[in-house]
Amino acid sequence: MTDYTDRLRAAARRLLGEGRVDCFIGYRRGSLPLAAQPAILTRAEQADSLIWDPSCGMNLAHYAVGRADRIGIVATGCVSRSLVALALENQVARERLYIVGVPCTGMLDAGALRRRFPGREAAAAAYEGPRVTIAFADGNEELAVAENLARPCRTCAHPNPVVADEMLGEPVASPAVPAVPEEAAAAEARSAAERWAYFCEAFAHCIRCYACRNACPLCYCPTCFVDESRPQWVGKSSDPTDTRTFHFLRALHLAGRCTDCGACERACPLDIPVRHLTSRLNAEAKAIYGFEAGLDLEERPLLDRYRPEDLNDFFK
Amino acid sequence: MAGPGEGRGEGRMSEWEPRIVTILCNWCTYGAADLAGVNRLQYPTNFKVIRVPCSGRVSPKMILAAFRSGADGVWVSGCHPGDCHYISGNFYARRRFTMMRALFRHIGLDDDRLHFSWISAAEGPKFAATAREVIAAVRRAGPAREWGKTRAQVV
Amino acid sequence: MRTRYYERDAFPPAVAELRRAYRVFVPVRRGDFHAFAEWDDSVRPDFDYRKTRVPPKGLVFPQSERLLVFSTDERDPEHDILREAPKDFPPQAVVGIRPYDAMAFRVLEVNFDTPEVRDPWWLRRREATTLIGLARADEDATMFRTENYAGPFDERGLDVIVYDLGRGYLAKALGEKGEAALAAMGGDEPAADALREVEERIARAATPELPAGRLRAQPAAPELPTGRLRAQPVVPLFEAEFWDEVAAPCLNCGVCTFLCPTCWCFDIQDEVRKQEGDRIRNWDSCMFPLYTLHASGHNPRGKKTQRVRNRFMHKLKYYLDKYDRGVMCVGCGRCVEACPVNIDIREVAARMNGFGEQVERHDR
Repeated sequence: MTDYTDRLRAAARRLLGEGRVDCFIGYRRGSLPLAAQPAILTRAEQADSLIWDPSCGMNLAHYAVGRADRIGIVATGCVSRSLVALALENQVARERLYIVGVPCTGMLDAGALRRRFPGREAAAAAYEGPRVTIAFADGNEELAVAENLARPCRTCAHPNPVVADEMLGEPVASPAVPAVPEEAAAAEARSAAERWAYFCEAFAHCIRCYACRNACPLCYCPTCFVDESRPQWVGKSSDPTDTRTFHFLRALHLAGRCTDCGACERACPLDIPVRHLTSRLNAEAKAIYGFEAGLDLEERPLLDRYRPEDLNDFFK
Repeated sequence: MAGPGEGRGEGRMSEWEPRIVTILCNWCTYGAADLAGVNRLQYPTNFKVIRVPCSGRVSPKMILAAFRSGADGVWVSGCHPGDCHYISGNFYARRRFTMMRALFRHIGLDDDRLHFSWISAAEGPKFAATAREVIAAVRRAGPAREWGKTRAQVV
Repeated sequence: MRTRYYERDAFPPAVAELRRAYRVFVPVRRGDFHAFAEWDDSVRPDFDYRKTRVPPKGLVFPQSERLLVFSTDERDPEHDILREAPKDFPPQAVVGIRPYDAMAFRVLEVNFDTPEVRDPWWLRRREATTLIGLARADEDATMFRTENYAGPFDERGLDVIVYDLGRGYLAKALGEKGEAALAAMGGDEPAADALREVEERIARAATPELPAGRLRAQPAAPELPTGRLRAQPVVPLFEAEFWDEVAAPCLNCGVCTFLCPTCWCFDIQDEVRKQEGDRIRNWDSCMFPLYTLHASGHNPRGKKTQRVRNRFMHKLKYYLDKYDRGVMCVGCGRCVEACPVNIDIREVAARMNGFGEQVERHDR
């Protein structure tokens, strides 16, 4: 992955230097060892602050929304899919985007690391190829990135950008993708009462900070339904029914739009499995309509199109 | 407070009558309900009818709002596919409802509470029959406890 | 000043004694994180914890609280009259609270207890609360010191300070509430060597140093750089160009504010069900677009940069200038740890503090 950093910096330097783009969206080193911070560069000489490693997990497509200038952006499979979905919804203009594609082998899951090394605090991290070395106060630990991936990365079907103006490397193979995602399979095995109990418990400690919503590049409504007051669809307190209503409707608003980048889950400060809802909708969209969001710039979003012969079996 | 449909909760099961919110397209099922009435077809009266211009107007937010307000069941009905007054509103609605129903089931809610149908303005008997079917299903499901918000649970 | 000593295993039973007279809140493990929960038979306290994910702020200032109730039924002679929601404020003890979280209540009080306005809900709950703190030098790398957090043995916000000595705990009462709680907990007079060990540990912590071998991604900054902030004129700082850069990665989510022990902003909402109304106070976040939205539709802080700037200006400048009680931050590092895009208050403070100086801009 290290060579991608060099190639990425070279690409950003060239694009900004030649005036091909007005800004370049990438990541720079964060203040914490396992964090990368999204950065919007505007000058070629800033290019050397860019990095590329398995901590670059937050979806950058978020930062392309609402910009009127020409944007350079580094994109993995899921980020490119979000850009396609946003272009279809007229939130970004394809002709103003210059997509620097990176074949992605998956991003680290900070939660998995926390669980693997409970109570130990990472002081520094160094990435080398498929391995990461984490320095703790009491010694170093080396581990394989592939064994500590964020949940969506473990079963990613589209690790390569679906659209790019230039690529930084050769395409990579997808991980073996189970027909039914693991979370969905686990849910299938539960009875209805168990599923309801799981849903209530999983979301019980939500603090309504809306990090899941705000981290999602596809959540761009100027006024979210939670902020509407006439009518007020959902109360603003920590009432459990209101919290469940928020999560149910948030997920439903992403039906046929979610690219399963996992930004929602990554952003959640309480490790709530918010993908539990969206990944199920993705699986349904694929099973029922053969649809996956953000794959094709010519294909309208799932809920913005229809076929007369669509599934009709539960209509009386 | 003991009007029909008001008797809820454990101790009042015997008096419980399902409350069902029915969202009907103006151009078809609303007419069918009218026709059923004119024809003096018998069907239960546990429905609160909301008339909308098209099933395509119905957002999942509205369905959830009904459950949040204490509905035991929701029934949405529009024109047969291909017969939409606005050409394609019900086609879009069908996909939206399909996804909503999937999520509804996924979180463990009983799909006996959530119903969809296509009933034209000429189908009074189908309206009455579907109404009986819906109410039987909601009775099977029992009083809804999952989404009803009576009062904010806060300190 | 009462002091008591408890062997390691004797401490939880001593705390349990408090349950006779108080609702007792203790740190418990919940998934990957810790949280304060009422100690009933379903939870097991974990006094070895380092930091809760969500601060215990909510025990005095709940995320949502019903303040007033009303009826809209016109047949009711008192319809539309707001009445206080009936509730009581039983004595509660927060056992194991860390000194930074305790200090946060002192930072908060200037908002709820002022010469002009005294917030009855906050005050009564605060009055009913006894803070029994846990002191142990185990700060993590996201933490730092401020005027309102002098380190892991800072006793200013506490009613009882409990030093974790490894083999046992030494507890010292700090005032009347603390005396009462400690009396209820029983325990033995501490031996002279335990008292001496406490002194040694405090002395060691006074000069924080990194444990051998510990690396940091950035230079250790045990003190939040705020020394020059008081002298900074407010307008140029407000207009500083760096705010756009600080705000650029921000998602405008509420993680930093909702995990902050010193953020106090709230919103008030009415909820009416049939003819019964509740007036509920909820935590609000300056990151949210609704936060300062006027009824006219105008929003004085309609842009992301304005909202981010307000968060830091409020914490590090306005609070400082208005109350003269240091900055509105106790150095817990939760916002640093949990920010999805790694916006670090230490870096922002450094920019604000150094503003106007010819400082070399370091690109990370």
